[in-house]
Parts: sequence; structure tokens; C-alpha cells
Amino acid sequence: MKLKEWAFLFGFIAIGIITTNLIGYNTPITDSLMGVLILCSIAFIAVCVSKIIPLRLPMIIYCSILGLLIASPVSPIGDFVSDAAGNIDFKAPLTMVGALAGIAIGASVREFTKLSWRIVVVALVVMASTFIGSVIIAQIVLNITN
Amino acid sequence: MEEGYQSIADRVKKEYKIYISAFSVLILSELIGEIEVNFGPGMLILFPLFYGIIIGVLLGPDLIGFFKNEEVEAASPLVLVAIAPFIVNIGITAAQDLPLLISVGPALLLAEFGNLFTVLIALPLALFLGLKREAVGATHSINRETNLALITNVYGPNSPELRGTLAVYIMGGLFGTIFFGFLASLVASTDLFHPHALAIGAGVGAGIMMAAATTSLAHIYPAYADDILALGGAGDMLTGMTGLYAAIFIALPLANKIYQLLEPRIGRKKKSTVKKEETDYEA
Repeated sequence: MKLKEWAFLFGFIAIGIITTNLIGYNTPITDSLMGVLILCSIAFIAVCVSKIIPLRLPMIIYCSILGLLIASPVSPIGDFVSDAAGNIDFKAPLTMVGALAGIAIGASVREFTKLSWRIVVVALVVMASTFIGSVIIAQIVLNITN
Repeated sequence: MEEGYQSIADRVKKEYKIYISAFSVLILSELIGEIEVNFGPGMLILFPLFYGIIIGVLLGPDLIGFFKNEEVEAASPLVLVAIAPFIVNIGITAAQDLPLLISVGPALLLAEFGNLFTVLIALPLALFLGLKREAVGATHSINRETNLALITNVYGPNSPELRGTLAVYIMGGLFGTIFFGFLASLVASTDLFHPHALAIGAGVGAGIMMAAATTSLAHIYPAYADDILALGGAGDMLTGMTGLYAAIFIALPLANKIYQLLEPRIGRKKKSTVKKEETDYEA
């Protein structure tokens, strides 16, 4: 995807986030504006960085690292960025994610109904044991290192 | 990711239906708002995120048919665009919780090995239910995009292993988000685990599942909400970086070992759908 297209799509997503923040969390548009601008700008920078750096890491990782660096205490604009982003409820970007993800997996339904019930059981156990396994290890290590 | 659009205008012309629908679904979902349902010991907390998924799936080509296959395909890269600002926000939250992240660093790193539980628990179960080589693909990890790529690479696009991986991938896509939100609240209700441990576990390697699990957890433990977000996000980021290597060097070899060991004992008599190619997997 070209950078211009990313920029355009981030614009669309930004409108979605502002709308969610308005309807779902009663935050006036003017309060959301700067926060959304910052989130989408950093995401856009992450896209640029992922295109420049030759490591084949997912773009999402750059988003996370850049967000952390720009808001960290060593960053001169850290406080400003944290305050502005604080106006965006953390759940606000997710409604648009859900809507698009739903549309994106809409064609998997038929494939899904073809699967035997056995794989459905296995899949649920896979998801549950991954989560519970990690929680147990985290709990044990936290107890030890506390 | 290369859709080959000529220009932004071209993209809008092909995708406008997705934009308008996603936006309408968003407004509708927000108007419904959050709903809490007590469900056994756990709590099913329904967030607008879930309504979005459900309505989106309903509109798809297999059900109502409002969207055609090409549009469904075009929506995939848009999910990545939409989740990017969310992940940035998590990074910003993490910056304020940096001392916490450093103090729980070992737990965050080691939680990756929780994935091995998946192999140990789900693989024997899959064999018991009569799955053959499909079981190795299905249970070597939580099977997100990176695993799909890995298994395709190791076993090939027509392998039973990939069928297994694909099956769990589809299940995760359709139900993973809702299941994870519920699972997190269910496990939290046991009171056996510290909210920090639960949050670390939520970073399983799929942004949207992490989002659902941390959202539920933040709702249950409002006092820890910021910590939960920071830890879930950090866990997810680490899994994104280490998960592939953990799968290649630990989980997949382990899954193959257990398969060799257990399949002759608990595998159903039914002949494998795979015939005798079972030996060349380590190539």
C-alpha cells in the first residue's frame, strides 16, 4: 500500500475514532481532535519506519515501540502526547476494528461450517490453554520475582 | 497488501461500500453500548467491538450477502490500518507504566512459554478425537497470521498440518475475540491470579484478542486498568517478536515429538488422511 493510501485510510479511521469517542464516551469532538491526530500520526510514522527499516517485523510492533518512545519521560513532548492521547478512551479505536474485522472474515463462515465439530473443540482448547498457560507462568514468575 | 489500486480515487470507488457500512455499524454498535451478562461464574461483557464483528459477519457473502467476496478481501488490510492507532495508544499507556513493565520483565518474557501448555494439553486431546497430522498444525500455537505463514512454509500449502492451522485460525477469527473476552472474565472469577498475571496472559499474539481480554479485565479491575493495558500490550508486542522463534525452535519440535509418542497409543484406529508422508515433516 502506498503512503498516500495509508494517510487517506488513517483519515477515515480518525473520523471513526472521534465518532466513537463522542457517542460512546461523551467526549466532545474538540477534545478528541488532538489525541486522534497524534495517534494516527504516530501510526503513520510507524508505517514509514517499517518501510525504511529492512527488518521484517510487523508494522504493529513499530506502532507500539514508537508510541512508547514518544510518550516516555525522555521524550521532550512526552507529557503533551500522553495528555492528548488520554482524551481518547482506549476502547474507542476498537469499534471500527470490530466492524472491519467482521466484514473481513465474512467469507470464512462457509469454510467454518465445513469443519468437523472435533476441530472446533480443539480450537477452543487451544485458545484457552494458551491464555491459561501464560497466566499460570506469569503468576509463578511474579511470585518468585516479587 | 498489494491491491494494485491506481489511485486513492480508484480505491474509494471500489471500497466506498465498506467505508459507509463500517461507519454505520460503528454508530449502531456505540448506540447499543456495553452490556453485562452474568454467565455462570464468569461475566460476558459485550462491547461495541463484538457487535461490530457480528454485524460485519452477518453482512458477508455467506450469510446475508450484502458484501461480495472481493469486498471482504479488500477489508482485510483495513483491519490493520484500524488497529494501528489502538496499538499506538497502548504504547503511550505503557510509557507511563515503564517502571512496572521493567519490574515484571521476567514474567512478561517467560509467559511466552505458556504456549507450550497448548501443545501439552490440546495435542493429546486432538489425537484422542481422531485428528492426525492436522493436530500438529492446529495445536502448535494459537495460530495467528505468523503461524499460518510458518506452517505454509514448513509443510507446504496442501499439507494436513496447514489444514489444522487454518481451522484454528478461522475459529480464532470468528470467535476468538468474544471467546477471549469471556475467558478472561471466567479465569479472573477464580481469584487465583493477580490482575497483572491475567493481563500478561492476555498478550497472546493477536491484537484484537488481546484487546478483548484486556477490555474485560480492565472492566473487572478498574483500579488496575492502566496496568492491565500496559502489560497486555507489552505481552502482545513481545509475542509478536518472539512468537515465531518460539514456534520454530520449541513448540513445533515438541508437537512432533509428542505426536510420535502418543499417536500410536491414543490415536483412533481410523487410517490417517495423510497416508504415509508422516515421516518427512522434519525435513
